[in-house]
Amino acid sequence: MITISGIGKTVGATPLLSNVSMEFPAGKILGVIGPSGNGKTTLLLCISGLLPFDRGSITIGITSITAEESSLRSEKIWQFRRQSGIVFQHLHLFPHLTVLENITEAPVHVSGKPKAVAEKEALALLEKLGIGQHRNKYPEELSGGEQQRVAILRAIAMNPEVLLLDEPTSALDPIRSGDVRNLLQDFAATGHTVVIVSHSVRFLRGFADYLAFMGKSELIEMNRTQQLLENPQDERTREFLHHSEMN
Amino acid sequence: MLLALQSLAAYGSPTLRWGADPSGGAPYVYADPANPQTYTGFDYEFAEALARQMRMNAEFVPTDWESIVASLNRREFDVIINGFEPTEDRAREMLFSKPYYLFRLQLTVRKDNNLISSLQDCKTSGKSVGTLVNCAASRLLENGGYIVKGYQDPVGAYQDLELGRVDAVLMDVAAEMFYARRNPSLKPAGKPFHTGAYVVGIRKSDSLLASRINTAIDSLADNGTTERIFRKWQLWDDEQLKLRTKGAETYDMTSRTFNWTEGLIKLLKAAAVTVFLAFGAMIIAVILGIPLALGQSKGGRITRTLCTVYIEFFRGTPVLVQLLFLYFGLPVVGITLPGWLTAIVGLGLNYAAYESQVYRTAFQAVPERQWQVAYSLGMRPFKAFRRIIFPQAFRIALPPMTNDFVALFKDTSTAFAIAVWELATAYRELANATQSYLGIGLIVCLYYLAMSLPLAHYAHRLERKLQRKSTGILTSGTEQ
Repeated sequence: MITISGIGKTVGATPLLSNVSMEFPAGKILGVIGPSGNGKTTLLLCISGLLPFDRGSITIGITSITAEESSLRSEKIWQFRRQSGIVFQHLHLFPHLTVLENITEAPVHVSGKPKAVAEKEALALLEKLGIGQHRNKYPEELSGGEQQRVAILRAIAMNPEVLLLDEPTSALDPIRSGDVRNLLQDFAATGHTVVIVSHSVRFLRGFADYLAFMGKSELIEMNRTQQLLENPQDERTREFLHHSEMN
Repeated sequence: MLLALQSLAAYGSPTLRWGADPSGGAPYVYADPANPQTYTGFDYEFAEALARQMRMNAEFVPTDWESIVASLNRREFDVIINGFEPTEDRAREMLFSKPYYLFRLQLTVRKDNNLISSLQDCKTSGKSVGTLVNCAASRLLENGGYIVKGYQDPVGAYQDLELGRVDAVLMDVAAEMFYARRNPSLKPAGKPFHTGAYVVGIRKSDSLLASRINTAIDSLADNGTTERIFRKWQLWDDEQLKLRTKGAETYDMTSRTFNWTEGLIKLLKAAAVTVFLAFGAMIIAVILGIPLALGQSKGGRITRTLCTVYIEFFRGTPVLVQLLFLYFGLPVVGITLPGWLTAIVGLGLNYAAYESQVYRTAFQAVPERQWQVAYSLGMRPFKAFRRIIFPQAFRIALPPMTNDFVALFKDTSTAFAIAVWELATAYRELANATQSYLGIGLIVCLYYLAMSLPLAHYAHRLERKLQRKSTGILTSGTEQ
């Protein structure tokens, strides 16, 4: 469960987020849509605890941080960061580690999980996604879609409350994207929250449980996917959906 | 053709071009402290008198003492007048005039040293003796099997004696009188010994010039000019009368024999010193470079400024000057390091400035997102640095670091300036001893290559190994 209460962030004179509030249950997938440059990625980074914000607070499960705490290198921010895992648009796998090491790095060296256990778990997930044979390769030897799967596995190997994905459609390779969907749905079904930022409505339709539409730095509306798509309440949402259907 | 004309001009013109080393050259030839544009010294006055006697004009050509014979034979000047001693090895490649002065050698120690009163004491107690390179005293010491430390000028030698870097200094009495006699912390050990002669050095092909000079030396002795000059410099003693009564061969000749096996072993030892200096300096540079790089890129305003000042100072001034500063400047504030340590520290401090820039660019080349991924996986900054950022930065930094290390290897040769017996110093000394700049030079180059090539090769292999693992950065696209 994520609770966002009135967070705001301004850089210089430009507001990136203005008074964004939302509540979102665990076990569901949330899609955040909207034109680029409207603060979707900024929101994601704030939820991950990697980007300080100016006003409001964010709560994940029972851990919360305020705007003041978000800019400090306090014990609290380190704990808060562990609540979520993030998959960046450009993935940023660790280039000096193999596929298997990318996934087991944090469980072994942060959580102190025995290496053999971590490797066994990672291998099971790799096999499930059909890339078990690549376990000893380095990231650069993989295709974009394969790299994305490794990045997702790296994040969920730490079993975070919330999984955050930024623009996953830019790397998704269509042949196997069904596997990725299943993986994310399974992960949500085990009581986790998944937040996906995307400009592609087509990708989120029939996959995300809820959709949130971001206008310029603000949250315009949020609803069940079908309802938001069929019956948008705001003119700006309607206009965006109209444009994205034409594309 | 041009050369022939020049040498014709040298013969025909009434100019006697004489060479000497004026740096630390008192009281022979040195810049007049009262009037630094002009030179003075007993050899300066003697050369003027000699030229006048030969109805020529004296023209002083400043040169470097260690390679003075090579310069004479390269025709940079016509004669050497520089407290120049006849030795058997020199006799093979040049002519000597008759002596115009007889000198003696004096051993000097620190005032509080009561153990050394003769050269023999140095040998039995295993103490090192400093002296000028390429002179009668150095030949005497080398042949006698003493531990010798060669200096480019007397100032450095006596300064090191005062600082305890050597335990005794052997020098011609003339230099000893000028540089050491009045120093309250030094004292003569024993009486002056060994009689040597100062002569004029002349090219082998100039026998006519040699006989004219001999005639002039006799005339100057007969008409009292020589005595007047040396009395003025308080260097006249009854010893000089021997020159008139007994003829020319009344002095001891030192010589230098060169044993190739011994020479190669000496070079090998010098090469070991070079390796030691390079590795020592690199360790300092690699370690000190990290805080400098972090301070400059992540520190506060003051830290950042201090790091930048340090880096620009060491990159912007010659390493040779830095070494001289550390070696001769630091003792003024009470810090006296031995030569080898000065070289390691000096080169280390210098290269730390370069390494810090290599690290800084390497760390900056690792995308900020790598830190963020590590943080979101629960790593703290130190762990993120150690396990994620450093391994990536290291492979970016490796090629420039290898370059720097090879450069540092060669830069250890600057240590010759502070009397460290490394490979370049060994080259100068042995090449001087044999006059085989080419042969010994090639051997020295081979030694350097034998050390730097395997290094470059190993670094290249390591690079390839890391590269095979991964090329470094996957994507560095900008994200919102």
